Amino acid sequence: MTPLDSSAALWNLLEHNRNNCEWKLTVMATSAVARETVFALRRQIAKIEGTLPERLQAPAGAPVDAPRNPTADVTPHDLTIVRRGLAVAPPDAFLRTGAEALDTALGGGLPKAALSEIHGAATRDAGAVAGFALSLVSLILKQGSRLPVLWIGTAEVFREAGFPYATGLHRLFGIEPEQLLFSEAPRLLDALWTAEEAARMTALAAVVLEIRGSPQRLDLTATRRLHARAQSAGRPVFLLRQAGEAEPTAAPVRLVLSAAPSAPRQTIAGPLAGSIGRPAFTVSIGKSRTALPGQFTLEWNPDERSFEERRTGEERAANPVPVVSASRRGKDPAPASGAVLAFATVGSPAAGDQPSPGERAAHRRPRRAG
Amino acid sequence: MISHRQANAQRIAALDERAEALHLKRGMGIADARAMHPSIDVVEADPEADRRLLESLADWCDRYTPLVAIDAADGLFLDVTGCTHLFGGERAMLDDILSRFFHQGFDVRAGLAATPGAAWAAARFSGDRIVPGGEEEALLAPLPLAALRIEPEIRASLESVGLRTAGAVMAAPRAPLARRFGGSLLLRLDQALGRLDEAVSPRLPVAPLSVERHLAEPIMLTDEIERLVKMLATTLKADLERRGEGARRLALLLFRVDGAVSRIAVGTSRPLREPLLIQKLFHERLAALEQDIDAGYGFDLVRLSVLSAATFDMQQADLTGETRDEGADIALFADRIRARLGHSAVLKPVAVESHLPERAVAMLPYAEAPQRVSAPKQPDKMPGKIQDTRPVLRPERPIRLFRSPEPIEVPATEMPEGPPLNFRWRRALYRVARAEGPERIAPEWWRQAAGQEATRDYFRIEDSDGRRYWLYRQGLYGAAHAAPRWFMHGVFA
Repeated sequence: MTPLDSSAALWNLLEHNRNNCEWKLTVMATSAVARETVFALRRQIAKIEGTLPERLQAPAGAPVDAPRNPTADVTPHDLTIVRRGLAVAPPDAFLRTGAEALDTALGGGLPKAALSEIHGAATRDAGAVAGFALSLVSLILKQGSRLPVLWIGTAEVFREAGFPYATGLHRLFGIEPEQLLFSEAPRLLDALWTAEEAARMTALAAVVLEIRGSPQRLDLTATRRLHARAQSAGRPVFLLRQAGEAEPTAAPVRLVLSAAPSAPRQTIAGPLAGSIGRPAFTVSIGKSRTALPGQFTLEWNPDERSFEERRTGEERAANPVPVVSASRRGKDPAPASGAVLAFATVGSPAAGDQPSPGERAAHRRPRRAG
Repeated sequence: MISHRQANAQRIAALDERAEALHLKRGMGIADARAMHPSIDVVEADPEADRRLLESLADWCDRYTPLVAIDAADGLFLDVTGCTHLFGGERAMLDDILSRFFHQGFDVRAGLAATPGAAWAAARFSGDRIVPGGEEEALLAPLPLAALRIEPEIRASLESVGLRTAGAVMAAPRAPLARRFGGSLLLRLDQALGRLDEAVSPRLPVAPLSVERHLAEPIMLTDEIERLVKMLATTLKADLERRGEGARRLALLLFRVDGAVSRIAVGTSRPLREPLLIQKLFHERLAALEQDIDAGYGFDLVRLSVLSAATFDMQQADLTGETRDEGADIALFADRIRARLGHSAVLKPVAVESHLPERAVAMLPYAEAPQRVSAPKQPDKMPGKIQDTRPVLRPERPIRLFRSPEPIEVPATEMPEGPPLNFRWRRALYRVARAEGPERIAPEWWRQAAGQEATRDYFRIEDSDGRRYWLYRQGLYGAAHAAPRWFMHGVFA
């Protein structure tokens, strides 16, 4: 590779680095060697652009190859170098979701002073998309802010996906109704204008802009304006997109949300089978300057107002308590009727046996055949 | 010539000079007129359009005085008390009005007098006359009875007894007049002569404060209007400060050279007096109305009025000289959005005491919502009363609620009162994986007639993909006449 070739490749990459993060991630994923080259080139880019590179833990097992990059002034352990924006971000510039794996993948969390896109594949995912965005808002408000949150949407999206319901938001995310402001714009243009005006305000804790579909007006320019205003105001702008395509936008991070089956409710006697517990989301990183594509399942804890990560298969394994406890006499009273049986212990002849709390709860839950 | 239908016959309602020259008269039948002059042009009368025209003229007359009233179908009352000196005296003002109307293409008659009745008579019967105070009697005496604004029946009966002029009525003894023709005749007479006060009821409320600027060179550009607004607002600020008030509603009146008047109003959620902020609000309003405002040949008079004002709370500044009030920023932001997108563009949820989910939250426009909502009061701890220490179990509520519940098809439920096994919503089929419920929500019987709305049983549903919904069944199986219907009401996170 001649010096000319390599510098041309470098500039190419620089352009890609600016415009197309997905491409980069694909490259990174293909092979370890390619990844290594990308990291090396990225260090170069950071040097050329004159910005201080940020350090991130190298992915486990990434080979250390310092001699191949004599220009890179990094220690072998900080192999990956990432760049966010044109300035070096202070550590509190990130909103930590609290789910370790997601935070690490995003390089410390979601940027606080930026536009972040949250996508839902279909309008019916509006609950998950809105729920995740509101959990992020709740995390921001948890830090002691009493500022209001503005939710902007077009009339179409509120009609199709439902209007945010203040009572529900208060119960689940601890956002007081007084802290909420809604703006319903008749047209997309008006919604974008409102969002731009709101994004520059420091008197708002966060701005949520919700848009359905992939309108042409929501292009690179429009999102860049939003992003720039969010950056200068130091407030997050969440762009919720229902049933939209992944188009190039100025948002540094795009998350794709879908609902995950919730874990059963926790009772004193253990999980209550068949119940619907805390809200759970499947988050996949659609675009990020730093992260590898990945999928995470998060669960929102409304009491603590925090995220918990769910390991796969956990909800299946951690269910030691039977739905209806087996008969105390050792014989299932009605084995033919199916796995779930209501009022099993009531009919059992176990005199003096008090039903356990789990059983009592089982009586109340809807009766189902399986 | 304009015709109208009166007593089942087409008659002449109004006519121009050329028709008058043909010896046609008002009230004449169209058929007769056509027989005399077959070439006349007849147009059907449009009282609605006439009224609109008169109202726009009244709007325009606002430039002379804020007290403009519409008189019947073809007249305007202008209360110019205290305004004439602004236009160089009574005669100059009257000339100005007449010449401006003439240039707009109107043929008007005007009269100026100390009482509305005398002015009315002067305008209609003696033409463009200024009646000095005290000379009302001299004006009215030779005029016919119609100048007294009395009903035609009274007029006819007065004429039948030989009283043909106002002077004759004035000379007649009052008591028999009142007895025979009723009180309204004397009332009109006294009002015209100034013995009784007659109030002109203005068609628009008079703004407590307004500032205006007459322009020698008409302006057309929005930028120029905005700059002018700021200048006017600066003048207004001093007045507002003196009164210790801030503006809650402001109106900008743009008088076009050719007589059209545009009225642009903005509202604020907090009292406002800062010229720059007022300019900002009008900037948004003008941007939103860009297509609707036709500058035409330009505006030659711009007026900024405070329609309603409220006490302005002064803010104590800290030592750095800055007052920090985040609410003010939000209020201004909300006002600007409202100026551009309409009254209910920024909404604030307010909790309402109701167990019906759709009624539990009211969405109010920002300006109307209470600024500080106090937390619901805790019941007093009474000594001796057993406290209920159980945790409050509040049912889960969705995070999004459909404005109107959407009907869904439920082919089968597991059991009559149970949750559905699957359902069809917006043409897609959903399989229910898990369900919780029912939560029964009864209608508010104290609000509507009994039996109007059925009981709802709500279920939390999780479908096979993990999405969570809030469904309800309206009505009970077997209880009502019709089969229960199912609705989708909200989605959970």
